[in-house]
Amino acid sequence: MPDESASAGLEQLTDDLHARRAKALTMGGEERVTQQHDKKKLTARERVSLLFDAGTFVELGMLAHQHSMTGGPTEPDRTPADGVVTGEGLIDGRRVYCAAYDFTVMAGSMGMVGEQKVARLRKRALLNRLPMVWLLDSAGARIQEAAGSTFAGSGALFYEQVQMSGVVPQVAAMLGPCAAGTAYIPGLADYVPMVKETSSMALGGARLVKAATGEETSDHAMGGSQIHCYISGVGDLEVDDDAACIAATREFLSFLPSNNREMAPRRDTQDLRDRRIDDLGKLVPVNPRAAYDMRKVLKRLADDGHVFEIKPAWARNIVTAFVRFDGQSTGVVASQPMIKGGALDIDAADKAARFITLCDAFNVPLVFLQDVPGFIVGTEVEKQGIIRHGAKMLYAVSEATVPKVTVVLRKAYGAGYYVMCGRGYEPDALVAWPSAEISVMGPEGAVDIIFPKQIAAADDPSAARKEYIEAVRKTIDPYIAASWAFVDDIIDPADTRRVIIDALEGAATKRQRRVWRKHGVRPV
Amino acid sequence: MTEVKAELVGNLWKIVVEVGQAVEEDDTLMILESMKMEIPITTPISGTVKEILVKEGEVVQEGRTVAIVE
Repeated sequence: MPDESASAGLEQLTDDLHARRAKALTMGGEERVTQQHDKKKLTARERVSLLFDAGTFVELGMLAHQHSMTGGPTEPDRTPADGVVTGEGLIDGRRVYCAAYDFTVMAGSMGMVGEQKVARLRKRALLNRLPMVWLLDSAGARIQEAAGSTFAGSGALFYEQVQMSGVVPQVAAMLGPCAAGTAYIPGLADYVPMVKETSSMALGGARLVKAATGEETSDHAMGGSQIHCYISGVGDLEVDDDAACIAATREFLSFLPSNNREMAPRRDTQDLRDRRIDDLGKLVPVNPRAAYDMRKVLKRLADDGHVFEIKPAWARNIVTAFVRFDGQSTGVVASQPMIKGGALDIDAADKAARFITLCDAFNVPLVFLQDVPGFIVGTEVEKQGIIRHGAKMLYAVSEATVPKVTVVLRKAYGAGYYVMCGRGYEPDALVAWPSAEISVMGPEGAVDIIFPKQIAAADDPSAARKEYIEAVRKTIDPYIAASWAFVDDIIDPADTRRVIIDALEGAATKRQRRVWRKHGVRPV
Repeated sequence: MTEVKAELVGNLWKIVVEVGQAVEEDDTLMILESMKMEIPITTPISGTVKEILVKEGEVVQEGRTVAIVE
């Protein structure tokens, strides 16, 4: 005989389960959710459903809530999921882990239980070699639980993020505040999109700053996207709202493999691999002193004109972007003559070095588009440490073992030519346009260093200088480089796309091993 | 009132606007000769050129205010 009371009991238990789940889904309650929406922010759960392919999210730890290790007061009923929605789901069909901080629950503060949940995700991400996304909207560590010297046991979150670095892609999407030490989550992530107005990050929130130093500021003034995407370079992209931030996160991941042992997925394109680009002459002026917008050139070269720029508003004198060439995800490092003449400074070197390292870690080939008059010289940049910053770029381009293709459009001067993957940095193909100028320095500079005595002794020094300049100018000729086979070919600019695609394909089977070392001593 | 600053050190080659002239955002105010390039100094805002603080042929340092646009 079936035991009816037991079956009814299970039904009741199941009802109770559903009630508990329903409660968790209400997050911090109606009032808090309204406040969240009033700030033009989505809730953690709305964000998660935007991030993942429909119906693929599996939540872990939904029934968790706040506890106190120190026996202090807790609010289990008011802390569903302990303020962080955690789980896994599919993005474009590929599995990704996600921790979405819930600002409606204790301001998304990071409590003991919540942190345990996120730790579990980090562990799984590393174990299963799958990317991790943080959707950040959090007041930071939950001081009620963290104040005092039990702090001595904390901090593993960043250690673990470092272990994940270069193994799986990490995205920290900034959708609200990310105060205090937790700002190192984006600090260690590979990609950090920021929502305008609502998001901020700072090592100390405004109240802490006031207490520590007396300075009066606000979280937004100190650490909004207007700071980090334009001035500090910590942010990668400023977007208008939560949906755009999550779309950027999905797109970033589409250019990368799930881990460092795989290749990024190819994306089919109708764009012809040998499409000629006849109007490049209109975009790139022949006068080598005149500026133009390299992004327009890149748009013409890439599959379907699609360019996904990283840090577009910071260090704009260099462009770093993901594009596809005949379906192959590719990182592009391109000079930008429109800004500072395309000359390199400390921020440009940092931006490029980091991007090259990211691409190399995840098997994304690199294309360098050179139109670089060199590194900026002078007292100001020396104070800023241009040598050690420039060294980072040299280091990154030397270490990169992914396929590398270099195209010299116009200028390729001095160390600028080196860091943009000149011959010495072992590009798999190095080609130049007929307009290319490759040299240690411009003719004017060279003449003033080589012939100062001759010029001074001449009857007409100014005319003599001009003559010397013309003579040196004649030695700056791409066909000389080609005649020594230092460049592989001089190409018709209209064929640039085809040449890049051929070269990338030719190097697709490249396997390069380095001398064993624990690690190099990277300039910082 | 916005101070327009030189983005990098260079020789101020040409001034292409006059005091009192109306300018649109991103218009070129002057051209710097630096790093083998002609580098335009543009205004970040639309308005009127209030002051020009440099002369042609002068060497300007990075961060120096070269004009004021109102």
